[in-house]
Amino acid sequence: MNEFYKKNIISVRNLDKQKLELIFDATDKIIDMSQDKRREIARGKTLGYLFFEPSTRTRLSFESAIALLGGTSLGIADATSSSIHKGETLGDTVKVISSYCDVLVLRHSLDGSSRFAAEISNKPVINAGSGTEEHPTQTIQDLYTIKKEKKKIDGLKIGIAGDLKYGRTVYSLLYGLRNYDVDLHLISPESLRIRSDSTYDIKKELSYTESSNIDEYIEDLDVLYVTRIQKERFPDEEEYAKVKGSYVIGSDMVKKMKDDAIILHPLPRIDEISADVDNTKQAKYFEQAEYGKYTRAALLGLILNENGF
Amino acid sequence: MEETDLIVRRIKNGTVIDHIDGGKGLQVLDALEINAEKGDVITIALNVPSGKLKKKDIIKVENKFLEQDDTNKLAVISPSATVNIIKNYQLVEKRHVSLPNEIERIFRCSNPECVTNSKEHIESVMDVIDKDGLVLKCRYCSRMLDVNQLRYS
Repeated sequence: MNEFYKKNIISVRNLDKQKLELIFDATDKIIDMSQDKRREIARGKTLGYLFFEPSTRTRLSFESAIALLGGTSLGIADATSSSIHKGETLGDTVKVISSYCDVLVLRHSLDGSSRFAAEISNKPVINAGSGTEEHPTQTIQDLYTIKKEKKKIDGLKIGIAGDLKYGRTVYSLLYGLRNYDVDLHLISPESLRIRSDSTYDIKKELSYTESSNIDEYIEDLDVLYVTRIQKERFPDEEEYAKVKGSYVIGSDMVKKMKDDAIILHPLPRIDEISADVDNTKQAKYFEQAEYGKYTRAALLGLILNENGF
Repeated sequence: MEETDLIVRRIKNGTVIDHIDGGKGLQVLDALEINAEKGDVITIALNVPSGKLKKKDIIKVENKFLEQDDTNKLAVISPSATVNIIKNYQLVEKRHVSLPNEIERIFRCSNPECVTNSKEHIESVMDVIDKDGLVLKCRYCSRMLDVNQLRYS
């Protein structure tokens, strides 16, 4: 039996290197497979989704992934237009929707929401973003992109820049990178540094520097991971205005980067990467988005099939 | 006779929680859900002079025998506390408190965005990850929690 069969995916903390590599191998297999063979993997299976926060690409990425495998999807894309808006609890909604599907994908604004949903759902739950806590499938996609584009993860010099305090993709990425031997630099305005109460237990396994100055590192980085300033998570507009536009990666800055460096972004971007960067060879964020469809398909294939595929 | 004996009378059957850090006695009552509703006599002494600690609190609860799980909760609030089980005026068991591996319900998670602080019906569960440094981790949102800043459920 494959170890992901009927398992929840709540936190990258639970994914060690062996598990991550297993997903990456399964992703390679999906990409190389014929369309007909892929469509057998989730034939007759249904993915249910509940998005309590707006999302376009993560939800569509999951929908396209299950379609790639021959399955179907149903769910609530906009929680404000459903019974949740009428006051139904998350618990009740999860119980009902999980009875309509084989795997449930949840995005919610509260930290710990997926862990709670997994306790009450009778189907495996995949966390598609829980508050400022985690976004594990984004990390699987990010690490897979690095591996594909750089042919390795160990030994790389990686910079993560932007909103490190509220960005859930950052925490999941840190938990994932702890499995690899990387030279890590965290770059953010002082007020948006990572929360120590979320990283205390990985400090022994992952060392990193913290700085506000991206110029210190830009020339040496192999990977620059840029995140959006999370406007919706700020307690007030004034605080947001202070840090908005702190880092803008333009083509001038990209010129300073190594030729074979790559720039990633979980998307959507607002103005942290200028449009003129899109045509540079370092820009890999659109490739990264496409890989997300395949990594999610691989994960779904493993969760839904006892003997893998 | 010690000064404390004059303040707090002996009990026939029940539990004596002694050597509570001075001023923490009321927190202990809250955490252990000791209340007067059942009509049993509860004696509380706060800030009693003590040689071992500078000041200590003492709680005597008549006709109630605290379970090990209850007394373990004490470890979070006052690790120096001792629990004495009294039967027929005799001390039949003396326990030093020790931190359990997990703590249910006593505290609310201090992360306002944690699902346990929402309208969902969830009881908090915290894992004790560092017994010496009193570090707890919310099992739901995974945040590290400072015991001194936690509120009771």
